Formats: sequence, structure tokens, C-alpha cells
Amino acid sequence: MLGNWTGLWTLVRREMVRTFKVINQVIWPPIITTVLYVLVFGLGIGSRIPTVQGVSYAAFLIPGLIMLQVIDQTYGESSSSVFQGRFLNSIQEMLIAPMSSLEIVGGFIISSILRAILIALLILGVGAVMVHATPHNWLLALLVTVLVSSLFGALGIVAGLLAEKFDHIAVLTTFVITPLVFVGGVFTTTQFLPPFVRNITLFNPMFYMIDAFRFAFTGRSDEPLWMSLGVVGLLTGGALGAALTMTARGYKLRA
Amino acid sequence: MSGFREGPPALRIEHLSKHYGTLVAVDDICLQVAQGDFFGFLGPNGAGKTTTINAIVGLAKIDAGRIDIFGNDNARDWRVARRLVGLAPQEYNFDRFLSIRDILIYQAGYYGLSGEGVRRRADVLLERFGLASKARDTYLKLSGGMKRRLTLARALIHEPRLLILDEPTAGVDVELRIELWGMLRELNAAGTTIILTTHYLEEAESMCRNIAIIEAGCIVAMDSTVALLARRRHDALSVTLDRPLAVMPPELAARAARYDPATRTIFLDRLAPADVPAALAVVEKAGYELADVEFKRASLQDVFLDLMRK
Repeated sequence: MLGNWTGLWTLVRREMVRTFKVINQVIWPPIITTVLYVLVFGLGIGSRIPTVQGVSYAAFLIPGLIMLQVIDQTYGESSSSVFQGRFLNSIQEMLIAPMSSLEIVGGFIISSILRAILIALLILGVGAVMVHATPHNWLLALLVTVLVSSLFGALGIVAGLLAEKFDHIAVLTTFVITPLVFVGGVFTTTQFLPPFVRNITLFNPMFYMIDAFRFAFTGRSDEPLWMSLGVVGLLTGGALGAALTMTARGYKLRA
Repeated sequence: MSGFREGPPALRIEHLSKHYGTLVAVDDICLQVAQGDFFGFLGPNGAGKTTTINAIVGLAKIDAGRIDIFGNDNARDWRVARRLVGLAPQEYNFDRFLSIRDILIYQAGYYGLSGEGVRRRADVLLERFGLASKARDTYLKLSGGMKRRLTLARALIHEPRLLILDEPTAGVDVELRIELWGMLRELNAAGTTIILTTHYLEEAESMCRNIAIIEAGCIVAMDSTVALLARRRHDALSVTLDRPLAVMPPELAARAARYDPATRTIFLDRLAPADVPAALAVVEKAGYELADVEFKRASLQDVFLDLMRK
């Protein structure tokens, strides 16, 4: 139930304040990491690779690297913000206020989207300057960024609620998210993979996110765009539903 | 409930129950706080005070019962109900990423309030609670007393009609405690209903008009402070004589007076203040001079301990 728009907007502002207070953890690392990836893999090793999906290998890398950082940062920020709020009880400031669970989850998700757009734009700037990579379809790029950041913002909320210690938050990043993103097409198209590995990749949800986002840059994809958007949309809906249900039930929030 | 303040309730709790697994934290309690009251909610650790408060403000899910805040069901009309309540929790739970001033402004935002009016009110509260010079700092730079004052300022930013204070003077020095008492009296005089939990029973005795005592999840007493104090059974008179007592005067013996030869002192328990002159007159009439007289009035603490022993 939405009604307290000021409350929702206050939470968004609070999350953005938090982002800029920890700018050295949230904003600069993705940019520096991307520059290094582009230098080492894109311009270094990639100079020996002919075009991929009609663009240079370095330009091919950029959409995947943006997704990698968007996924990593949106999950990391929302999970740590929720967990820290629980751990220090500061989340009670909004729990005792007239804010619905939809407004609380909405506040975290909108701030995840804004953070993702900011990171994506900064990396895009790097891509545009270093390898002349820009989206052909800005609307699609924005849509995928919004869906993916909502998905991982919601997963971050779920993880922040489930975690008993900070270490638990890292489990999903270390053992699930990072491996799946790395083998999900950041560095290569599935066309380069053996058929067996390519078939396995189709079970990797990260592949569809990267494939749809890359379509906005290259106009080509390994799988049909509708399928990728459908998978990402379904996963986003599921994650938002889980985050909303847990918050509405007060899971580890209201004793 | 003699002397219990009447009036439309700021808070009405009906048959509230809350369990944590097999532990019964609150067991079918009923409670009513009149508008404008200064209400003490007392009990030992683990008695159910914080669970009850958490249920009122929506931090605890209740198993049974109903809580109305100024007539608004805090489950059904939760937005209106929460808007009317301010909570100053015992533990500091400030947002570590915000400045002191922003803690107040953002808290108002969560309550749906924004704009110049909120910023002005935040500045007024910072000034009133002696925090204006720290407005741009984070709470980590505040002293314990300042954090306690900030807790109160934050609870007041949205101008609640019911203010709940969970141990507001825990761990603060005497000077600040007296200062906080003054602030709370002012707020109450201005019409804010206050519910106070405290371990300092003299605080409850001097501040609260009505008191409820909870023990093991059950309300064991709820009455006006005056009426509760009238239950005291420990007012005691001790009279030290100029020489050893030969025979206990029969009037005092009939009241179960005790005599300590070592100190030449007669002790009379459960004596009303009005009966003191008569008791002293009996001693003097028996031919003794009064070397020393002490009348010790029982406090809320005695009443509290009596109730806990039952």
C-alpha cells in the first residue's frame, strides 16, 4: 500500500547519502575495475581477437562489465544497508513510522536503481572514451538496468534479512553471483563455447541479463531478446515478491 | 483503582498476549492511559515492559488482543496510530550516516513530513536540547548525555501526542537526569501524554501520576501513584531514649513495638504519619526523654518490592 510518498522519498535520499558517504566502496571501485578490465582484456588480449558481434572485443566487453558492476553493487549495497540497519537497530526508525512494507522495499529498490544508473553511466563514459562503446538502444539499456538492479536490490534485501552476520551476505556473492556472472557471458559470446557448455549456460540467469543488455549496444544477441527479457522480468518479479513478503511479515524486523 | 485518572484514553490495551516460543512475554494484559497523563510502566527486567512497548509502536507482532491509540486500532488504522506516537528507545539506534540535524529531518520524513517547517522544528529542538552546536556532527561524536537528549528530540520531531520513553535516564548523571525531568514535565504540561519505563523508582514516584507494575507478563498493580504509596506498610518510627527502657509502655506493646537495648531504641513499624505525635507522647509520658527520633517513610520501591515478593 502506497500513501506515504514523503517517507519513501526520504528513504531513497537516505540511501543515496549512504552511497556517497561510502563512495570509495561503491562508486570508484567499479570504474577502476572496468578500466583495468578494458586495458588488460579488451585492449591487450582483445587486440588479437577479431570483431565479436560486429564490434571490437573491447567494445563487446563494456556491456558485460556494466552488468557485472551493476549486479555486484546493487546486491552489495542493499544487503549491507538492510543488515546494518537490523544490526544497529537503525531500521527501527522507519519501522515505527507510518511506512508500509511496499514503501520500505520501494525505497530500497529505487535507490538501487539510481545507484545502478549512476554506475552504468560512469562506466559508459569510460567505454565511450576508451573504446567508443555506446548503446544503440538507450531505452532497452535503461530497461535492462532497471530490471537487473531491481532484481539484485531485492535479493540484497532478502539476504540482509536472512543474514545473521556480515559473512552470510558474502556467501551469495562469492559462491553464486560472481561465478555465475563471470561464466554468464561477460567475456565471451556463447557462440565461442562448445555446444555442451553453451547448453549449460542457458541455465545461468546472468547470461540472459548480459545478453539482453548487450543487445542494446550491438543489436545482436545469442538468444532472442524477448526470451532474455522474459527470464529477467520473471526473476525480478520473484525477487521483489520475496523481499516484499518478508518485509510485510516483519521477518527478523518485527519480533 | 482509587484515584485513577479518568478521561478519554490516549492508549487502551485489551487482552494483549505475546509469546516467544514457549516463553510467555505478555499474558493477557489490559491497560489504559488517559490523555494528558504521565504514566509509569514499571517492572523488573524481563517482565514484559519492552515487549508491550514494542507492541504499541508496531515493533512486535502480537498473538492476541488489541491496542488503540487515541481510538485508532494500531493494526487496522496503523498509519494514523503510528503518526500519534513517539518512541525514545533505551538503546541508541541512530543512523550513523546522517548528521544530528539530518537524523531529525529524515525521521520527520519517514513520518511523511517535509519542508521548511520540519527544518525549523529540527533547529528549535536542537536548540532546546542543547545540541545546536553539534548539528553537523554524526551521533558518534556525542557524549552519552547528548545522545540521550537526541533520542528525546528525535521522538518529538513529528509532534506526537503520546510519547513513550523507555528508560530515558538510564546511565545519565544526576544533573542531566534532573534536566530531563524538567523537560518531560514541560512536555506533559503542554499536553503530551507520557508513558515512562524506568528502573529508578524515585523517578516514577516523583514524575508519574499513575503507575502500572508488570511482573512475569502480568499487570500486578495499576493505580494512581498516591494510591499505590498508600499501600505502603513500611513507614517506621524509631525513638532513641535518654536511658535504658525498663518496661515497654502497654500502648506501644499493643502495636508490636520492638526495643533494642544496645541502642536504647524503640521501633514501631507500619505507623501512619498522623499517629507519630501520639506515639511520642506515650514515650514521654512514661518518663523518658527523646534523645533522637526518626520517621522513615516507605517509598514506591517498598511497594514495588512487596509486589514482587508476592
